[in-house]
Amino acid sequence: MGLVRYIGRRLLFVAPQLLGIIMVSFFLVKLIPGDPAVLMMGPNASQQALDELREKLGLTLPLPQQFLHYIVNVVHGDLGTSWQTTRPVLDDLMDRFPATLELVTLALLVALLIGIPLGIVAAGRSRGPIRKLADVYGLLAGAIPDFWLALVFIYIFYSTLHIAPAPLGRLDLEVVAPPIVTGSMLLDSLIAGDFDALWSSASHLMLPVMTLGLVNAGPILKMTQSTVERTLSSDFIRYAEMCGLPKRTVMRQAVRASLPSIITIVSVLYGFLIGGAVLVEIVFSWGGAGQYAVQGVLNADLNPVLGFVLFSAVFSLVVYLFVDLLYFVLDPRTRG
Amino acid sequence: MAPLLDVQNLVKHFPISGSRKTVQAINGISFTIEKGQTVSLVGESGSGKTTVGRCILGLIDPTGGGIYFNGRKMGRDHNVRHRDVRGRIQLVFQEPAESLSPRVRVADLLAEPLIYQGVTRPDRERRVLEIAARVGLPTGLLEKYPAELSAGLQQRIGIGRAVITRPEIVVLDEPTSALDPTARAEIVDLLIGLQRQMETAYLFISHDLSTVRFISDRVVVLYLGSIVEEGPAATVFATPRHPYSTGLLASVMLPHPSLKPEKRLTLVGEIPSPIDLPPGCPLAGRCPFAEDKCRAAFPPPVALGHGHLVHCINHEKVAAMGAAVDFFGRFQVLADRILGVAPTLEKDTVQ
Amino acid sequence: MADFQPATETAPLLRVEHLRVSYQSFESAAVPALRDIDLTIAPGEMVGLVGESGAGKTTLARSIMGLVPRPGRIDSGRIEFRGQVMAELPDEERRAILGRHLAMVIPNPRSELNPVLTVGQQISNVVRAHSKLGAAEARQTALRMLEAVRIPDPGRRLNAYPHELSGGMAQRVVIAVALACEPSFVISDDATSGLDVTVQAQVLELLQDMVRSRGASALFITRDIAITAHFCDRIAIIYAGEIVEIADTAAFFDRPAHPYSIMLLAAFSHSGDLRRRWTRTEIAVNGSAAGCAFAPRCVRRQPRCEAEHPALRTTHSGHAVRCHFPVEG
Repeated sequence: MGLVRYIGRRLLFVAPQLLGIIMVSFFLVKLIPGDPAVLMMGPNASQQALDELREKLGLTLPLPQQFLHYIVNVVHGDLGTSWQTTRPVLDDLMDRFPATLELVTLALLVALLIGIPLGIVAAGRSRGPIRKLADVYGLLAGAIPDFWLALVFIYIFYSTLHIAPAPLGRLDLEVVAPPIVTGSMLLDSLIAGDFDALWSSASHLMLPVMTLGLVNAGPILKMTQSTVERTLSSDFIRYAEMCGLPKRTVMRQAVRASLPSIITIVSVLYGFLIGGAVLVEIVFSWGGAGQYAVQGVLNADLNPVLGFVLFSAVFSLVVYLFVDLLYFVLDPRTRG
Repeated sequence: MAPLLDVQNLVKHFPISGSRKTVQAINGISFTIEKGQTVSLVGESGSGKTTVGRCILGLIDPTGGGIYFNGRKMGRDHNVRHRDVRGRIQLVFQEPAESLSPRVRVADLLAEPLIYQGVTRPDRERRVLEIAARVGLPTGLLEKYPAELSAGLQQRIGIGRAVITRPEIVVLDEPTSALDPTARAEIVDLLIGLQRQMETAYLFISHDLSTVRFISDRVVVLYLGSIVEEGPAATVFATPRHPYSTGLLASVMLPHPSLKPEKRLTLVGEIPSPIDLPPGCPLAGRCPFAEDKCRAAFPPPVALGHGHLVHCINHEKVAAMGAAVDFFGRFQVLADRILGVAPTLEKDTVQ
Repeated sequence: MADFQPATETAPLLRVEHLRVSYQSFESAAVPALRDIDLTIAPGEMVGLVGESGAGKTTLARSIMGLVPRPGRIDSGRIEFRGQVMAELPDEERRAILGRHLAMVIPNPRSELNPVLTVGQQISNVVRAHSKLGAAEARQTALRMLEAVRIPDPGRRLNAYPHELSGGMAQRVVIAVALACEPSFVISDDATSGLDVTVQAQVLELLQDMVRSRGASALFITRDIAITAHFCDRIAIIYAGEIVEIADTAAFFDRPAHPYSIMLLAAFSHSGDLRRRWTRTEIAVNGSAAGCAFAPRCVRRQPRCEAEHPALRTTHSGHAVRCHFPVEG
């Protein structure tokens, strides 16, 4: 009952939120110096040709009007075209966004598998080897840049040990990609029953996923540890101790009460990684959405940039909505 | 001459967001406070007593009725935020620790209300010293921060801040509930002393009946936003005539085994939430004397003389039982004996 | 040292001997919280422990449970509960006693009950931790306990969360949790201080009935001496970490002997003269470490009080009093 109404109210705000995000990013992107027309036509183009192109691209119109055009197009599902790929941005992103999403999602799972258990165990004790490990890990993960770790992994596992495949995209060159259903190589291979593709995509995912996972386990570890520690010193845990509940039960209650905070940091991290994985994408020639957007920025190809912002925003909004639903399930006080 | 503070048929309802229901915090109450007088509002949490205090300060607008301060109606353009009223009505909070800014020295906390009145710095310093002496804060403490002091001393600061502007009336919202009984008694003595010197009127809001008994001239008993009984404090405490006041007094515990809480008179259950109250007497659901008539309409006041008013059709039945409840009177007899011994020692016993 | 064993012949359920607890600090010397506490409680006895905030009441309760709050430390003395020294028990054995034989009623149930578990889950958790009952049986026990603490509509309240309960109701739930395993000893730590008077009377009545009907003992900690007059067999007054007076309830209230006890009673007197007679209003500097801790606030203070620390001794009327010049007769 309350839930349905709550979701309804949330969805009501999605459209204005998106509009705001597009507006801010549109005008910020327009501030980037560089003339698309010049970049598109090359240095030898005539002034007349440039003017015609500008006219055609709508660049001569005042900014608010350009923005209005853009919005109208977006509403009709047209994110414009990229002059670099000469394809519609929507098509490009439909190819690339899933690649990033697959990478980031798996990396996040790895980070959770490392960070949460280690954080919980470390919170339960004030000394000992596990606590040391957690402290050192948190420090290292915070200090090591992900692209550097990626290069180290490539050197060890590809160049030296020859275990990993070459860091060039999502599949071996000789493997034919499975038909696209979900956009995730792993899932699509499974659906197609194509085990060559499955193996190839899994081995290509290995290093970038480990890189991002290991680095991002750091903040999750730290956040889990401090939240659980704080909960362990709270009134109701002290009361649970006074009631003689077994240590395991007390710990479980503390973790349960810490979940909302942990979920919050994880969701923020998830949204951040969509763009934040770009350096790792570049190192592994991943062909993901972040890479696409950065290319756009560097070449004054604005439609991909705006398209990427829009996709990320929608993604973050979906994640946050999901998080709110989780709160709703986890904390009875939010159900009032 | 108009009374200092005149509350006339005050009503305050809070709408509940997303619902057509309202919280009926105050449902038409009237009382007056004269210069230098102490009127206490007593009742359980949820009775609306704090809301009355907030309306008087003008912090919230009443839904109906009016509050007249020195004959002038309080409202949007005449409340504690305005120059004419500022400093003349003051407030003391329940939690001294929470109402005092932790990063401000005691001296500056005391001086703050004077700044808003435009008092010059040398005058402020003089009056801070004067008020610190009056509320029993040694000058050595003026340079300290509130967190370094005990709850009792913190409340002295709260009171000092209130009376430093020489207000005509101070609203005291549960000023002693957070304190130990001994500190509570000291604060009450301080308040009584200040009132004698400064002729300030007090509106004392509390559920702590022992303290109310010490300090009040008149007592107003609130239940679910309605006045059920009011009168001179000594009369109401000795001979309560409303089932609610009787039950409230019968629940009070005084420190002697012979003064057991009177079980026959305790009210069953807890105060219901003040949302969409039914007509009639709000106590009907908990009252051992309730009849159909009680549920039909809120009983009009019955005057019992000397300003003692009770809203109950069965007040005579209550009176028959209520006589057993004069714990305060009975305790006083015991206290006189126990405390009556000479506190200081005779010279010869010192050996 | 005098022995304050109550009149009953049975061995005490709780025996605290010469207990000293202090709070350690990096910056300064350790701060003593409890100084030489002696207290025995017999089976079926209810003892009231009265003192101001900061007197060491909660530290004593936590020490008895073997959960001295950090950075506190037991310096010396021993606490025996049912013949066992709590502080020496391994963690698992202590957990087996807490909640089962030694239960706690806490003061702020709405922050101390787990906000994300239902009332039913919280009671059954404790029941299941201390018995072999299955989930369904534990839930039955929880329901029975809610009925026993007279919560209206107990079947529905079983599924309520703490924030959905009124203060009085939450306090009843805490009592249900405490008594679910039929403990032999209940500690109530300022359990009703936040409640309205009418609710407070009901809850205290209930707690007393539940403890008495089960033949359990109780340590009733409060800063409000009035409560103890009606619910306790013996009264112990604690000041600055020391017990300054212990006596049977009737004897205590008939003639309190320690000036501090009298001051506590004076706070309830309607007569300002009597109140002031027993209260020193001027704020004295701290007394000398060697003397009586109460001396700076004492109206009966003599030179000897500043020089010599009084021992707990028995007066003619059977009170144990820590005072050189108790009020007698």
